[in-house]
Formats: sequence, C-alpha cells, structure tokens
Amino acid sequence: MIKKFQNLNITWGTALRYIAGLIVAVYLLWRILQTTSIQGSYGPDTWMRFLITGLVIGGIYSLIAIGYTLVYGILFMINFAHGEVMMLGTFAGYFVLEAFAAISAPGSGDQSLSLLNAYPFPALVITFFVGASVSALIGYLLEKIAYRPLRGAQRLIPLISAIGASIFLQNAAQLLFGPQRRQYTNPDLLWRGTGWMIPVGEKSVMLTYTGTFSFILSILLMAGLLILVKKTRLGKSMRAVAENKQAAALMGIDVDAVISKTFIISGFLAGAAGVMWGIHNGLFNHYVGFIPGIKAFTAAVLGGVGNIPGAMVGGMLLGLLESLGPAILGIDFQLKDVIAFTILILVLIFRPSGLLGETLKEDKV
Amino acid sequence: MKFKNFLILMIVLLVSLSACAPEPIEEPATAEEEQTDEPVESVEEVDGLPQACLDDAFGCAVIPQGETIKIGMGAPLLGDYSMFGTDISQGVSLALQVDDGFEGWTYELVAEDTGGAPEAGAAVANKMVTDPTVVAIAGHIFSGSTEAAMPIYEKAGLPMMSPSATEPGLTQQGSKVFNRLAFTDADQGMFAANLLFSQLGFSKIAVMHDGGSYGQGLADVVQAEFEALGGEVVAYEAITPGEADYVAPLSAVASTGPEAVYFGGYAAEAIVMMNQWSQAGLDDVLFFGCDGTYGVEFTDKTGANGEGAIAVSLVPPDSEEKSAFDQQYGEQFGVEAGELSAFSWSAFDTGGVLIAAIEKVAFVEGNNLFVPRGALVEAVRNSNYVGLTGLVKCDEVGECNASGPTFYQVVDRVWLPLE
Repeated sequence: MIKKFQNLNITWGTALRYIAGLIVAVYLLWRILQTTSIQGSYGPDTWMRFLITGLVIGGIYSLIAIGYTLVYGILFMINFAHGEVMMLGTFAGYFVLEAFAAISAPGSGDQSLSLLNAYPFPALVITFFVGASVSALIGYLLEKIAYRPLRGAQRLIPLISAIGASIFLQNAAQLLFGPQRRQYTNPDLLWRGTGWMIPVGEKSVMLTYTGTFSFILSILLMAGLLILVKKTRLGKSMRAVAENKQAAALMGIDVDAVISKTFIISGFLAGAAGVMWGIHNGLFNHYVGFIPGIKAFTAAVLGGVGNIPGAMVGGMLLGLLESLGPAILGIDFQLKDVIAFTILILVLIFRPSGLLGETLKEDKV
Repeated sequence: MKFKNFLILMIVLLVSLSACAPEPIEEPATAEEEQTDEPVESVEEVDGLPQACLDDAFGCAVIPQGETIKIGMGAPLLGDYSMFGTDISQGVSLALQVDDGFEGWTYELVAEDTGGAPEAGAAVANKMVTDPTVVAIAGHIFSGSTEAAMPIYEKAGLPMMSPSATEPGLTQQGSKVFNRLAFTDADQGMFAANLLFSQLGFSKIAVMHDGGSYGQGLADVVQAEFEALGGEVVAYEAITPGEADYVAPLSAVASTGPEAVYFGGYAAEAIVMMNQWSQAGLDDVLFFGCDGTYGVEFTDKTGANGEGAIAVSLVPPDSEEKSAFDQQYGEQFGVEAGELSAFSWSAFDTGGVLIAAIEKVAFVEGNNLFVPRGALVEAVRNSNYVGLTGLVKCDEVGECNASGPTFYQVVDRVWLPLE
C-alpha cells in the first residue's frame, strides 16, 4: 500500500484529504438523492424562484469577485477593502437617486412628477455612472494611499493595510452618513417587488424588473471587461504586467499606471454592483459591503483567483449554491453559507487552484 | 531548538501559574480580616462609613460632592442594531436630565456599546462594576447581552431595569438584581398565537425566526401555543439576520401553503422580507410580526408592500405626559420619539423608576452622598411607579410591566391598534 502511494507521489496527508473530501461529497450526494426523491415538496414554481434569486445575486457577486481577481492577478494581494469600495458606490448611487427624486421635472407643469420618474432610464444611467465612478475613484486613491507605499514590502503587509483600509472606510462612512439603514428610491417603473408574472405550472412566478435589470447589466459589464482585457492595448499591458512586472517594464509599459488603472476598473465594477445592490435590495447602511465582499472573495477563490472568467463563473455558482443549496439538501436556509463554504473546501481539496484557475508559478503563489 | 521549546513551556507554565495564584492567596487573607476586624486600615474605613452602609450586604456607593450619580447601560450603540441603543440611551438620559437631582447631586447616564453581542455585554458589565459611582443599570438592551451581564451585576449588587430584554428565561434564573419593564416574549407569544388562532381564525401558519435568542424564543412559544390550541404549523424556518435577500427561504415557506407567517425577529429583516413577499409567492398571506418589527421604519421602508402587516408594541396610549415627552425628545435629539425604535417611552420610564428607587434609599452625610447598594436592589424590585407606559410594579421575579402588549396593524402605511 505504502509503496503504491510512494510510486504515485501521494503523501499520507494528501490521501487523507482526498478521503475526507470524498466522504463529504458522498454524503452531499446522498442527501440530494434522499431529499429530491422522498420529500420533493417544492413545486416547479418554487424551484424557479430559487433559480432567479440565485442568478441575480450571483451576477452581483461576480462583478465584485472580478475586482478581487484583477488585483490579485497583478499584485498577488487580496484587496480586503474591496467590499467597502462597493459600499461607497452604493452610497453615491443613493444620493444621486435622491437628488433626481427631489427635483421636479422641468416643463411638465406637474410639480409632483420628479425628474426620476419623468426620465427614469437616463436617470438610472447617470446613477450607475456616478456610483461606479465614485467607487473607481476610491479604488484609485486606495491603491495610491494604502498599497503603493508598501509595494516592495512583504506580502502580509499590504494585506494588513487592506484590512485597516476596510475598517477605516467603514467607520468613515458611518461617521459621515450615520448608522441608520437607508433605502433606495427607485423610479416607479422599476419599483422593488414589481415585475413580470411568468406562468410556471399552475402558479406564476414574479420576475422582478430590478432583478432582470441587474442581471442584464452585470452580464453586459462582464462582457465589456472581457473585451477590454482581450482586445485593447490596456488589456494587453495588464496581462503583461500580471505575467511578469520586470519584463513588462522593460518593454516600456508603465507598470504603476497599469496598476492604477486596474484598481480603477475593479472599483468601477464594484460601484456598479453596489448600485445594483441598492436598486434590487433597497436597504443598506455602511455595512453593506462586508458580506458581499466576503462572498465575492469566496467566489473568486472558487473560480480560481487571478482568473477573470473564473470569477464570473464562481460568482454565479455561489449565488446559485446559496439559493438552491439548502432546498436541494433539504436543510435550514440559515445554513446556506455552510453549504457554500463546504463546496469551497471541496473545490480547494480537489482543485486547489479553483475551478478555472491555472497552476501558478512559484513566485506568484 | 530543544532549549527554546523548553523555555516556551516554562513561560506558559509560569503564566498559567500566575493566573491562578492570586485567588487562593488573597481569599484567606480577606476572610481573616473580616473575622478579626482588627487591622488598622479597615478600622479607619469603618469610622468613616455610616451605619446603614455597614449593615448593607453590598456596602455603599460613595459619591463625593461635584460628582454625578451614574446609571450604567450596555446597549448596541454602533452597528446594525444601533437604533435601539441610540433610542433607549436617549430616552433614559432625558429622564435623568429632567429630574432636578437629589440634594444637589445630578444624574448621569453612562452608556457603553455592546453591539448587541453577549460577550460584549459581559465586558461592559465588568467595566461598570469597577466604577464606584455607578449605582444602577438601565438595561441591558438585548436579551443575550443582558443574560451575560446578569451574574456580574448580581455579584456587585447593581440593580438592573431593562426596558427591552424580553427573553422569558431571564427572570427564571433567580436573579435578585434583574428586573424588566418589557413584557416577556412568552406573554407576547401566547397572546400572538391566541390572536392568530381564535380571533383571526387561521388554522395553518408558518413560523419563521432570525436564529437569535429573542426571535427564536418567540417563534418557539408561538409554535407550541398554536399547536396546543389545535392549529397546524406547516413550516418552521430560520433565516440569517443581516441579509438583503430572503426570497429563497420565503419561497420554501410559501410552497407549504400557510395562511399567515409569524416572524420572530427585528425590523431590519422584516422589511426585507415584506418587500420580497410577492416575489416569493406569499401575496395573500398575512405577515404577523412582534415588538421587534414594530416601528415607523417598517412602514416607511415597506410602503405599499407592508399593508396589512401585524406587529406588537409598547407604544403607550396618548397622554399629556407622553406629548410633553415626545416634544422634548424631538427637540433635543432631532428625531421623533419612536422613530428609531418603539422603546423611547419605556426607556424614559426606566430612568424614572431607577431615580425613584435611588431617592428612596440614598442619603447625604458630610460631603458625600451614600447609596446603600443592597437596599437599592430591593427598592428597585419593590418599585411602584406610574410612568408613560402605565403602572410599573414588579412581581417577585422582576417582571415589572403590569399593562401587557398591544397589537397594531398597518393600515394605509400607518400602524393602527388592531381591533
């Protein structure tokens, strides 16, 4: 036995890990078979609702996860303040919408018609743009102030700086805007809890306007990012810097500028995700970035940190796992995070580099 | 390497020894002092203290002239539930402020943040008992944090009066110091189950909670009571507090076909649930909340989605004193009473009850104010006080709300008493 393992170059530790992973996987499979065959109490309409929720939240996770992945790909550090970058985008979007809702539309003669309801789509575009830009700016400043001075330091040090920046931003937002929960003022057209009713079986399922809107926008943003990374000059230089900073510098690429732009892009996406969060979920306060931040980090690891399509897949998968997982396993919904993180551990056991991640070179790990 | 390991081991041993050491050494020494009563130092102290303090089991709080009589509080002042802590601390501090003091000494509230967490509750309690001028505790605010703090205050002889800790078990632990103005979760759960089954005529309900000791405590009582009455609880589901999307658990509940959903938890989650009610396919299902979900925030943030929801409240009936309080609260803090939480009035009464008890037992001698701690603990338990929320009269275990819960329903985006 031992000889065989040695021949395969597998240590006892790896073997144990595999065995433990297999046990968990078999147990999960057994639960799934049991609940879906015996209980089967959920109708198709309920499954449809789970699916819709999972996709919408997954899109938001994906957008934030991309930020972790982009930064990790270039600096090999986890930007733990990324959730707070998103939070500030949520606040910025909120104030823009409030402003639109407060101004009455000119020329309509109707005082009660606000600019927001008169031109809902331009208003939303501006809101998204402002929210995302504020987050992009915060991302840029964050890198300048908290990470750039530590560029040459040990790997742990910028990480600690990131945690410090996260705490600072959270508390600054609380002091500036107060601790109370706020609620997004949506245009009447996109009011929360309204949507198309889709008949599923005998019942009908609501496909919310906000959810559809968020999902489509997140897909568009992700497609845009892929084009940017694959087709443009900036994308090319980002990939070059991620590959090898020294060589990129020798080829005439301004590494610092590329890093700044990476932070701006990841902040922009996080800000858009923040506004989506506000429009779709409504309630938020200065803690809004924390949980999505942690979840998106998980999603990035799940997909393979450093890999952009990996972050997208990881985010969607995590969203779906959260909404479908407890139902499939027939356990309490409070345990959805347990399921998500169990899957994460399983992935890390069997594919330590994540679902789509490639094995990194020694100096990047 | 070996030497280093050995050194570390020695250090660990030393630290653990020194952590244990003081107690066995100190205790015999103090016991001896008490028995013999002879050491010079303690005789001097005895001379300085009035007889009432020597007779008291916990001694006196001695407050020199110029200092304030402090009332402590452990409350969530920051974070997700800060509206409760902020509101209650404002209500209590207003009560202390409008009082004209006792023989020249004025009152002051010392509120510390617990974030609502039990471990922070114990930490705040440990801090409070080290301040000799803290004589009583208004709180704590959340049940978990209160439970963690109780044994510490019990040891120090600090009476507690919580306006909001409603977990039923709190008064069943034989605590002498703990009292509360809030009606218990058990009472509330019984009343709610009765209302659902007998008056509203439902036979199938779902019960949900947020997994906290308050929410789950309520949910368990409602479930047990509703089933005891002959109804059927078709789903029992827990949610994770602090999230923004509950469509999945709500859909699961909806698939079991309940006529009403009882929810034990706070407004933060109830608002999110209410806004996702129709997404989850619960359109014709009644939402039945608790006193944690009641408040202006619920109606503000659910809008049309919240129509018809039922909750429970401590908001007292209108009176002259209530409007005077409302006005002063609004002027001083820039928010309406009841806007942050429903506990503004109970908090004010908590301050009033504690002041009344302190003035019953405190006395001045020389330049110092003395508050016998043991006597104060009894005085709080024996309170007989009429405040904004009605009669405050404690029973033998410290349940002091003699008036009971009122049910409210959202009609046209306003909470109205349920008929």
